[in-house]
Amino acid sequence: MGLVEWIVRLVLSPGVFAPVIFPGLLTALAVLLIVIWAERKIAARVQMRVGPLYVTRHFGGVLQMLADGTRYMFQEFIVPETADKVPYMLAPALALTLAIAPFALIPSAPGFAPVKSPYSLPALLAILASTPLSVLLMGWSSNNKFSIQGAVREAFMTLAYEVPLFLSALSMAILYGSMDLEEIVGRQFLPGALLNPVAAFTFFVAMVMSSGRLPFDIVEGEQEIVAGPYVEYTGIVFGIGMGLAYLKLYALSLLYSLLFLSGWEPLPRALYSVYPGLAGVWLFAKAFTLMLFVVFLRSVYGRYRLDQALRAGWRVYLVLAVVSILLSCLLRVVVNV
Amino acid sequence: MSSYVKNFGGHVRAVLTGLKYLVKPNRITVYYPEYYVEPPEGYRGMIKYYPEKCIQCGLCAMICPAGAMKMYVKKGEKKGRPGVNYQRCIFCGFCVDICPQDALEMTKVHDVAFSSLEELVFPPEKLAVEVQSPALLRGAVKVKPVFDEERGLRHE
Ligand code: SF4
Ligand code: SF4
Repeated sequence: MGLVEWIVRLVLSPGVFAPVIFPGLLTALAVLLIVIWAERKIAARVQMRVGPLYVTRHFGGVLQMLADGTRYMFQEFIVPETADKVPYMLAPALALTLAIAPFALIPSAPGFAPVKSPYSLPALLAILASTPLSVLLMGWSSNNKFSIQGAVREAFMTLAYEVPLFLSALSMAILYGSMDLEEIVGRQFLPGALLNPVAAFTFFVAMVMSSGRLPFDIVEGEQEIVAGPYVEYTGIVFGIGMGLAYLKLYALSLLYSLLFLSGWEPLPRALYSVYPGLAGVWLFAKAFTLMLFVVFLRSVYGRYRLDQALRAGWRVYLVLAVVSILLSCLLRVVVNV
Repeated sequence: MSSYVKNFGGHVRAVLTGLKYLVKPNRITVYYPEYYVEPPEGYRGMIKYYPEKCIQCGLCAMICPAGAMKMYVKKGEKKGRPGVNYQRCIFCGFCVDICPQDALEMTKVHDVAFSSLEELVFPPEKLAVEVQSPALLRGAVKVKPVFDEERGLRHE
């Protein structure tokens, strides 16, 4: 077996292809660039403006984010004198790792899961739940009052959204009787959002909270605490901080499509027979549309105050999440899907 | 409970309104350096000075509430001529109003940028040269804002 053949095999194996190429790292980066541009463009359309335009004008400025990223690359990386140096450097690396790790668990086609496990749903949720730790570390080690405020806000918010997020996801696991994402998609004779709309709604809102998009961008709070935990970071590391929320949103959107929008169904047979890894186009399209909708919310909403978001999280969405669990139990007993 | 339902309806309405604008955008800004919105009559932009009309009375410098206008006296001369420091000017137009000779005038030019603070100080000689809008110099298309019953603001 030649070296080239070996490399091709390695790249095409689900364990490498899924996390690194699709839907993982490379696709995620492309999505990141396009979604941030789309967010600005959508907000501009709704707010009667033009939005980014001059970079690649003929395509409506779609490469704007690439230009911004390049600029970040060449900026000086400053470590503040008062910062706690080791965690200050370590936290962004940790954050990026944790943001990419979920893609190792997301199946993009039947039989094409990088890590096959009967517990892929809780494992995925656990990884997603650990990203706020790195944000806390960033804020704390920066040793700046804005960043610490941001970190504390992150801690508050995490508690408020994580519980409804988990409960509504697990209610779907109860409904399908499985915690394996691949099996969950297989059991959806109807999209999960129709089976349990309460869970779908709760998960959606918790997802927006979790990825810190408007109206819940309380952690960054640009106008109040100037980017919160990321305020001391410069250059590409600041870019990572910015991209972090979008990576999380991407992972959560994929999860949402798997849980509630029947994942990769209807399966494109032709693509599947060519190479199973390519069969996730529908999954990707659903997740991407969902992301576009989430970033669209920016143009409609203003930011909630911290206490309002916490109140909504605990008083409304926690209750809804419990209701969704009851609904799932009921459906399982009555309909026995 | 009923307030939650009402709130939910409000959210749905807000999102729908947003979607409406997303599908049917109603842009009211213009592509600025290519299009240039003409300021209305009486717009207070950069100041132009006509030295030949000036009688060097100094009223303009006296009235200036921001201390932006100053008389520049040349060596050997008794009376000075006005110059403006745009770091301070608030474009109130008092200097133009008080001038008995109409030697000062407010142009409509407003989109000028400077690369240093010193450049913002205009001595009389510089004040006498008409400032040009860089967008217009580069051949921007002039447009005028019009009120439209349906759309609100339009440019043509
Ligand atoms: S416009 Fe007003 S502030 Fe400016 S120079 Fe004239 S009087 Fe002074
Ligand atoms: S008020 Fe008019 S005439 Fe008098 S100094 Fe100023 S510009 Fe000249």
